Amino acid sequence: MPRLLSFTVFVATWWIASLLAGDAKLPPPPAVLAAMIAEARSGALFLNLGATLARVALAFVLAMSLGSAIGYLMGRVRLANRIGDPWLILLLNLPALVVIVLAYIWAGLTEAAAITAIAVNKLPTAVVTLREGTRALDAALDEMATVFAIPRWRAFRHVVLPQLAPYVAAAARSGLSLVWKIVLVAELLGRPNGVGFEIGVAFQLFDIPLLLAYSLSFAAVVLVIETSLVQPFEARLSRWRPRAA
Amino acid sequence: MKPGYPGGGPVRLEVDITSKEYKNAAGERHDVLADIRFALGAGEVGVFVGPSGCGKSTMLRIFAGLDHDYQGRVSRPAGARIGMVFQEPRLLPWRSVEDNVRLAAPLANEVKLSALFAILELNAHRNHFPGELSLGLARRVALARAFAVEPDFLILDEPLASLDEALAARLREQIAMLVDGRSVMTLLVTHDVDDAVRLGDRVFLLSPRPARVLANLPIPTPRSARGEAEIAAIKADIARRINGDRTERDAS
Repeated sequence: MPRLLSFTVFVATWWIASLLAGDAKLPPPPAVLAAMIAEARSGALFLNLGATLARVALAFVLAMSLGSAIGYLMGRVRLANRIGDPWLILLLNLPALVVIVLAYIWAGLTEAAAITAIAVNKLPTAVVTLREGTRALDAALDEMATVFAIPRWRAFRHVVLPQLAPYVAAAARSGLSLVWKIVLVAELLGRPNGVGFEIGVAFQLFDIPLLLAYSLSFAAVVLVIETSLVQPFEARLSRWRPRAA
Repeated sequence: MKPGYPGGGPVRLEVDITSKEYKNAAGERHDVLADIRFALGAGEVGVFVGPSGCGKSTMLRIFAGLDHDYQGRVSRPAGARIGMVFQEPRLLPWRSVEDNVRLAAPLANEVKLSALFAILELNAHRNHFPGELSLGLARRVALARAFAVEPDFLILDEPLASLDEALAARLREQIAMLVDGRSVMTLLVTHDVDDAVRLGDRVFLLSPRPARVLANLPIPTPRSARGEAEIAAIKADIARRINGDRTERDAS
């Protein structure tokens, strides 16, 4: 119910703003809805959303798994941290645009280049978060696992992973939002399809209803994924806490 | 291979630690252990009694194989299954009571586990998470975990500390029952002389830091046969030795 109310307020504000600013700058909701339906009828909307989602999924999985592994290693092994730290600082502060442009120059305007570039942008934040999580691991529980001779893999799964879970969730959450933002830039610059590409086209044609139709469909997909996948996952991970926030 | 022991070799702990230093965060060195020499055989319960902060927990960490940074020699039975109760319960908050025990003892069968939970009065709490337990209950879960692995070598670090008297007495009986049920080499650390005399086959008195063994007192009477009079006599003897040492030091 509160969600419905907040959605209604959003549409109402938009409609009033469009009356004040004029159709040319901000088309009213029905015009955008019409553009959305037209794109959906032709199938282009789903094709482009699908292409973007596939890139997000691949880049996200790649960056999360690699980033978590590197972060864990850097948190556990001092030498790995000293070797990796300068690279981490470099990657953290490298603008996304630089990575994307360089990837396209070096690897051509290919799918692999786009996905790698997106993943590289997300990677360092996952590394930093997981490194912090690994440093915060409870040494007392490690000792318990050692004394009871719990095999490495079982100890990792039952003792270490649950402690890292909040950090993995935080990295996933912040990483996903970062990927959502960067994927469109990567598509705009070097892909022949996807939401970013369509928004680029709409921008060049000054077709604001089309631009908004894609932006809002994309936002809707993000919302659905966040509420139906990410949030239940977080809730499941923290179910043992007496009062989960 | 000797019978009754999977790792082979005799179940015997031989300790000869000459010194153990500890470096604090400021880089200052402190001597924690000075001269710890003793041996313990299978089925024996050795109890360490010493003042707070004398290095008992440090010592136990060495015996458990968690700390290798010391001068001297500790020969533990190789491959012995260790069951340990730490000073804090050290349970996994994200696993239920039963899962906590089963994680350490994956081979424990349902019958033995049920019996153990019954002795420690934990049956009602099997599916609770540690965050829902009182400290007394959490300590009992830690005991259950240590016994569930059917250890060859049992290490108990003040398992009864900070519990009320009645509960401590009940838990002490439960520990005695479990120790007598299996022939296991046991080391118990406590600052409570009463616990030491009621549970131990052998009482080691420790000096203040850096700790050394002041006395090694065997108690020949079996645990169950000790009368209150005998316990009181041994306690008086121990008190005399501890205080005697203190006056000696004060005099020098």
